[in-house]
Amino acid sequence: MSIETYRKANPPTADRHRGDSAPAQSREGITRQVQPRQRAAWRDIFTFRAPPRADLEVWLGIGAFVFVLVVWTLTTGLGIVQPQFLPSPLAVVSAWIRLIEDADYLTHIWISIARVWAAFLISAVMAIPLGVLMSSYRGIGAVSEPLIDFVRYLPVPALVPLTLIWLGIGESSKIALLWIGTFFQLVLLIADDARRVPKEFIETGRTLGAGDVALMKDVLLRAMLPNMVDSLRITLGWCWTYLLVAEIVASNSGIGYELWTARRYGKTPEVFSGILTIGLIGLISDQVIRFLHRRAFRYLG
Amino acid sequence: MAGNGAFIEFQDLTKVFYDHRSHATPVVEPLSLSIAEGEFVVFVGPSGCGKTTVMRMVGGLETPTTGRVLVKGQEVEGPSREKGMVFQSYSSFPWLTVLGNVRFGLKYRRDLPDTEKDRIARHYVDLVGLTPFSDYYINRISGGMRQRVAIARTLAADPLVLLMDEPFGALDALTRERLQLQLLQLRNAERKTVIFVTHDVDEAVFLSDRIIVFSARPARVLRDVQVSAELPRERTMEIVETPAFRKLRREVLALIRDEELRTEAAEVAAAS
Repeated sequence: MSIETYRKANPPTADRHRGDSAPAQSREGITRQVQPRQRAAWRDIFTFRAPPRADLEVWLGIGAFVFVLVVWTLTTGLGIVQPQFLPSPLAVVSAWIRLIEDADYLTHIWISIARVWAAFLISAVMAIPLGVLMSSYRGIGAVSEPLIDFVRYLPVPALVPLTLIWLGIGESSKIALLWIGTFFQLVLLIADDARRVPKEFIETGRTLGAGDVALMKDVLLRAMLPNMVDSLRITLGWCWTYLLVAEIVASNSGIGYELWTARRYGKTPEVFSGILTIGLIGLISDQVIRFLHRRAFRYLG
Repeated sequence: MAGNGAFIEFQDLTKVFYDHRSHATPVVEPLSLSIAEGEFVVFVGPSGCGKTTVMRMVGGLETPTTGRVLVKGQEVEGPSREKGMVFQSYSSFPWLTVLGNVRFGLKYRRDLPDTEKDRIARHYVDLVGLTPFSDYYINRISGGMRQRVAIARTLAADPLVLLMDEPFGALDALTRERLQLQLLQLRNAERKTVIFVTHDVDEAVFLSDRIIVFSARPARVLRDVQVSAELPRERTMEIVETPAFRKLRREVLALIRDEELRTEAAEVAAAS
């Protein structure tokens, strides 16, 4: 890292300024030449592949949210859009707080979370071994890949009638639907993660006396683990999409059901609250997994 | 045991690669060669000539099309701990520390208790001078150190033969020089038989007891050079300046250069 890059990434603090200015007085201008040329922050932000400016980027992210909020407030405040189509942010937040305080609503949230995780865990437990085997043995790959690819391209909502016919309107049909939506995608992602493990790792393991099972357990899985956790994180997001499909179509519980009921009674702020809740849960679980990823795979740093 | 004291023996070894249309490309022509125990043999040749394939067949990572390889009288039927391999890169595991990587070399030995495995691993980490970095993860150490980890790990597994596939190819000149010296010291201490593949002629002459110069693909032995007959066993960096070293270097380089020119001319003729 060059000095310039370093300085850009770490703008001088007040402390460092004080340290710099003392010799500047005694040595008249010599230090001033050493001072890095300050480039305007906005230029760095809009330079192709410029070095990161963490502080500024955080503020830009927050700014984008604020911007959306301001535009939203103005649109509703000026009466440009009718409140039953777009309620004001304040109305949404107060509806949301009212809902959150209601124990029933929390139960619905928990039911949704439980459905997502149940389906996600079943998918993961099945997809990880199968994905690893598919990538490791040509035969298993050749048999399963075309089938999986075929199912993968079926739009999940098209399978709702079938899950209802087979499994009724209980929990199992919802979990089955989420499973269909995630398992087939996840298997292929896992198989790809496994295929990307360098051949040298496997051959090293072999020449050190590892058998097939040991290779998969001690080398392949360990090597692919960071990428696999990313694949799982992405798939968890898809689970939420299919959950809403399942809950809207046939359910009398869960966030999707609440959202759909609110629509039926024309309670737009409650509809927005539902969206807000789903967005927040998604954001939080994603960030938690990212955080755990950084902690668990420090060795990559 | 086959042959007269041959430790590794190639018997009419050939290799043909087939592409998806079953189009055959011969990579190794019938090859017969024997290597004595404790010999340091370097394979050189034009790039893509098949020297690495020959070595991989010793390691059991590639199956011969016909013929066979014997290591200590036993036919090679697949990879095993007896045939230790060091690759150019990507061979140290990033999820393990330096010590963890070296200890991995002993992971599948059921005959040793854990305390003994620890002792051996520490010994080899020490031997390659990495004790201060024992607890470092691989991504935190330099490329040269990573190759030392790979070498220590392979030695810890106590193989009969050490197979090295351009292990210093990705390193800068100074690091490479240091590792070459260190490798010779290690090898003298461990008395291992080594097969070393490189396309760097200086490296070949400096390290070897014997150089096998391969032709362009399909690989066939162009010349079998007994380096130990002309250079002393003990190698120091100064040896590079001696007339004997230069003569060997010139000879081997000329062979490869002619071979590359010849193939290029043949390719040009085939293309036009």
